[in-house]
Amino acid sequence: SSNEHKLNFKKSKEACLSYIQDALLQKQWKRAAEFLTCYVESLEKDYSREHIGPSEMIWRIGTEILWHHSHSSMKEFSYFMEQMKTLGVKRYLKVCLEHVFHLLCNGQIDEAYQNLSLAESWRFGEQTAIQGKEMKLIQAYRGLLDYYSWSKQKNILLEHGEDGFSDLAVEQEMHGYFRKAAVNLKEIIKIPGVWDVFVKCYVDLLEFYGDHNEARQVLNEYAYNSRFPANPNAHVYLYQFLKRQGESKKSLISALKILHDIVPSHELMIDFNTMLQKSKKRKKRRLGLEVIFAALDYAGWKENAKAWSCLARQVKQIVTSEKHLDWIKQEWNSRKDWWPAFHFSRYLAKRNWQENKSLSYEKALVAGILLGKDCKYFKHVSQQGCKAQLKRFRMLKKFVNRHNPVYLRISG
Amino acid sequence: MEFPAALFPSYFGAGPPREDGGLAPVAGWGEHGQVLEGGPGRRQAQPAFVPRRGAAGERWEAADAAAVPVLLPSEGCWIPSPAPQDILYRSDLCRKLRAGKSGATLDFARQLGHFFVDHPEDAFGSLGHLLHKNFYLGHSKLKRPARNSTIRMTALVEDINRLEARRGCPRQHLASRLRWFSHLCRDWLFEVPLGLLADYLHEELTLQWSNLLFDDSLTGGALAWLPLGDGETSVGRLVHPGGQAMNRLYFQDVVLEKVPHTRGSAAQFELSGRIRQVAAARVDGEDFVGVRSDYHCGVWRVPGRTGAAPTPLQVIHTDVPASCLTVSPHLPGELSVCTQSGTVYLWNVDTGLQQVLYDPQTMFFRDHSPWRWSDFTAHPRVLSCADRTGLQCLDARAPKKCHFDLFKVGEEAGCQQGERVVLPIYLGRAHPSQYLITTQFSVYVLDERLPLVPVLKWAHMMKAPPLFAHLMPGNPGRSHKVLLGASRTQELLLLQYRARFWGVSSGGSQSACQLAGTPQKLHSIAGCLQHLPTQLPHRHHLLQQRLTAPAMGMAAALQEDGPRKSMLVFQLSEAGDVFCQRLTQKTTQPSAPPSRDEATTAPGSSPLFEAPASSPQGLAAALRYRRWLRAFSRCCRESSQHTWLPRLSQRRLFSRRDLEESAGPSTPQRQMRQRLRQAMKEGGLIQCWEPSALQPPPLPQTLEPAGGLDPLSARLTAAWAGDWEQWWEDRTSFRVAQRQWALRERRRQQKRARGHRSLSASFTSSLTYQSELSELSDSGPPLPSAGRPPIFSQEGSPPAGSPPVRSPPTSPAPDEALLSSQSLRCRGIPKERRKTLRDYLSVWAKGPPEPTEPPEPPGSQASHLCIPSSQSQLCIPSSQSQLSSASQPRRKRPRMGF
Repeated sequence: SSNEHKLNFKKSKEACLSYIQDALLQKQWKRAAEFLTCYVESLEKDYSREHIGPSEMIWRIGTEILWHHSHSSMKEFSYFMEQMKTLGVKRYLKVCLEHVFHLLCNGQIDEAYQNLSLAESWRFGEQTAIQGKEMKLIQAYRGLLDYYSWSKQKNILLEHGEDGFSDLAVEQEMHGYFRKAAVNLKEIIKIPGVWDVFVKCYVDLLEFYGDHNEARQVLNEYAYNSRFPANPNAHVYLYQFLKRQGESKKSLISALKILHDIVPSHELMIDFNTMLQKSKKRKKRRLGLEVIFAALDYAGWKENAKAWSCLARQVKQIVTSEKHLDWIKQEWNSRKDWWPAFHFSRYLAKRNWQENKSLSYEKALVAGILLGKDCKYFKHVSQQGCKAQLKRFRMLKKFVNRHNPVYLRISG
Repeated sequence: MEFPAALFPSYFGAGPPREDGGLAPVAGWGEHGQVLEGGPGRRQAQPAFVPRRGAAGERWEAADAAAVPVLLPSEGCWIPSPAPQDILYRSDLCRKLRAGKSGATLDFARQLGHFFVDHPEDAFGSLGHLLHKNFYLGHSKLKRPARNSTIRMTALVEDINRLEARRGCPRQHLASRLRWFSHLCRDWLFEVPLGLLADYLHEELTLQWSNLLFDDSLTGGALAWLPLGDGETSVGRLVHPGGQAMNRLYFQDVVLEKVPHTRGSAAQFELSGRIRQVAAARVDGEDFVGVRSDYHCGVWRVPGRTGAAPTPLQVIHTDVPASCLTVSPHLPGELSVCTQSGTVYLWNVDTGLQQVLYDPQTMFFRDHSPWRWSDFTAHPRVLSCADRTGLQCLDARAPKKCHFDLFKVGEEAGCQQGERVVLPIYLGRAHPSQYLITTQFSVYVLDERLPLVPVLKWAHMMKAPPLFAHLMPGNPGRSHKVLLGASRTQELLLLQYRARFWGVSSGGSQSACQLAGTPQKLHSIAGCLQHLPTQLPHRHHLLQQRLTAPAMGMAAALQEDGPRKSMLVFQLSEAGDVFCQRLTQKTTQPSAPPSRDEATTAPGSSPLFEAPASSPQGLAAALRYRRWLRAFSRCCRESSQHTWLPRLSQRRLFSRRDLEESAGPSTPQRQMRQRLRQAMKEGGLIQCWEPSALQPPPLPQTLEPAGGLDPLSARLTAAWAGDWEQWWEDRTSFRVAQRQWALRERRRQQKRARGHRSLSASFTSSLTYQSELSELSDSGPPLPSAGRPPIFSQEGSPPAGSPPVRSPPTSPAPDEALLSSQSLRCRGIPKERRKTLRDYLSVWAKGPPEPTEPPEPPGSQASHLCIPSSQSQLCIPSSQSQLSSASQPRRKRPRMGF
């Protein structure tokens, strides 16, 4: 009966698919290709109402095989892609995008641009939500490529400008690229998402043409709009923009303060700390101590010599001035039960000494102040340092011994 | 660690997942996802782009054709966990129902029956004792005075058996006697009230069934590899559970040579529960091993030196089963524990337990699963807590105030509907702020600095959800390797991802995460089955059962031997077997595809066993297999001695009257009875119930061995047929007269048999055969001949009474005539088809080898069986007639209690 026939057909289709899958997972591209030629038959009677139909499967599998098959070429790949585009209307834009990605990764920028323009002009009935998103992405990538063309023209122009020779045609072309790029890039960064590349390019365009207000607005929107994900890069871009604009320390600090609140382990925290340490305001110096302590909480900062030297410098400053010891005390309170094991164990003392002497110096200073002169870390490092007759370490030992009472006040 | 300067573009939405999908078989292929500018060619005029997926990765290739056992099977039998057929209702009716997607039906009645049979004391102890005088278990009729106070139970049992036999029959009527009995005593007969017992049983059954569908108690895996801290990469320690109940913890030193082997004896600890998870982390040069069983969690410290003994540190007891135990990679002796009640604890060996979270509800939306998980993050005081709906990070110092959502099953991560978190692991060894989250559809890499947005997502296409994951961090500039493992299907998948661009000499700059290379399937334990030498069927079955047991854990070790890099992947099964495979890194680009993998290997013919001498590695593997198989068969033998062999009593099946009654209407019935009686007398089995077994399986032809056979094969043939003694006598005394007499006697028997018009004789004539069969089809199953009943004693050899030799075709004329070209022409079969037809028939007719006969028409006794096409079910597979009775696998019948 036809039902049975359908069932059998479905079964053999599934079997074929599992063979293909097996071959792909074992990198047997040739075998997979052979099975795929059989699987193409499944297009003939497509009864499935599954999430991924046979035509999409063929597109995916075929693409994967052509990526890796030793005998495939770009030409063949493009030919296959063109065929796949006609296979399903709903997937047209997706296949176009993937085709463009492949062209871009293989350095065929011009072909990619052509494909993008072609896809952009494609219309078929009413667009679904996903298709709308894909169309926006296609436009954005076209804008990106326009931006690269613009920047190429700009570089030519700048070089020529040095020679004292300006080309009007090139300039015109450059402005044309700017307009095309700006329109498309502006569109996509309005939609919530991660658009680092597009934002950077758009801001670069705006800055070149002197539209700083628009640039600032774009960056503020990207960083502070709550519908966007909490992307640290958005804050970094804003900070860098403000720095480029020569903004006041205050606005830089407030930008970094927000970054510190969302990502205390960001690498800009060192800049932030140095900026705060230099400040004359007590509150800011206090914040600086908080920032550096918080950064050193993270496993990724464990062996960051720069961060340890920042902390050591500030701790030393506080101890010698004997003012604001309570700052250290407060920071230390929430850390004293785990920092010794996390940072100042005997094992780490040995390893730090072997691997990075200056790191162990900074850490030993902090350990000596926070945990006293009997702490394992300090003892080991200062002993080794004295044994190696390094002046720095002898000074360190003296300093810690002199300020040992501080330890009692902090931990008390 | 720096944050990448630019991330791959992606949309960000909020809310429940919109995409409606399911387990798509190929969803992970053929997509780049997105591209980003970067990569090696930055200095060129044109921008260079890198894809999110599809960049080149390292090439790892399996060194062997299959995984090799590391440990010998432990003594004591292994009890397989219940299979679907053990607890599901089996019947044709049900299968039909299931085809209509009504879900699985649990065989509740059978399990309740098992309980009553296996624990009669617990089920009806007291009342049974009280009433045993009133229950009569004999067969004879009860006398008048006793009948007033006594019930004859045998009649009830017969009724029950009859019901059992008619199971699945749509027109099933309850015997009134049974209904009466159950009505009478349902309320008081049972020790435990029947309703309560049934509730418990049903609860247990549904639990078992849901465990069979997805057992999350194994999440995380129960196998760990601890490399030694001496810098020696070729030695390490394997931590694995073992023993019959998987309640022993072993710390076994293993040397990673060509084929890894154990060194010394393992340190052993006996625990008071089945081990579900073994987690390990290295802090300050020491390994901390956490072990989770349902109600206990323990922690061991293992010094990184060779030969240092592991020391148990602390054990905690939980009221609710624990579902997670992870070891901190930051602080020594710190672990996190989750229980199914929704509590998360930070457990420090020195300071004890600290409750971080208590929330019986799931985080982002309602989900019934009580499974919880927690792990550490880049900040030693911040724990991640997960349930099926997502992942949250909380500061243990102020859990109520400081927390953020890291992952949500929803539109944020582009999840599908029905997607659930299966396993989150902290990727700290590769990148301090990255996390891997697996669901049943995809794997996600998340960065805690950019919560909710996965920095990498890929549909893994595994058939079962990945319960195990193992990270092997790559050195700067190299890709990180992640192994994913599933339990039920034993799948193993190797992925590579990279967080740095290659090419720059200083190890590259920090970049967005990208998937490198293609995912790769590794050998599973069950995969070695096809490479093992051919086994006897029952042994094969046992072996298959053992090797396809669900996986219970996975571990891996990277070994760098100068320029040669290899990876060893260990897999643990529920049976306690640990298998290992080696992958080697290929640095050169592939010139030609590997030829061995392309060809599918046939069972028993594998490079592992065929040419083991060609490589020392292959030889070692083959030797290891031999030893493992030997130990395994020893285990099987031991265990089978203990088990109770099912016995069937013949006495009660039929009463004497039944057997003596000979008024049956038709001859086949009479013959059948005769056969039954004979079989019972001999205590043998009747094998040929099915019509397909009508033909008694013939023994190898030994009728005239004296002709061309050499003495050795003659002797062997005789021995095979069971009358080696006879052969010896013949050989020594050469009693010609006796042999002649025997031959004459046999011929006379054959003649008699032909005269009898028995069924087997009727096969020789296709004309009579059909008419007789149509009669038979009305009166029950067709019966084999009574002339030579195919009855065998338990040993499987023919009974002494009947001749061990199959009768030769008594009248070869009809079928020869049938195949002759003349007769075929008569039937209107064209000339060119005759050969095909003859070949076709001969396939069916391949009888025992007949050395004396000319080979031209191979037509023999069975050939014409296929001619009546209307009776196609009677075709005997040719292989059956070739098999001797000893090697013929007995068809299994459904029997009570199985």
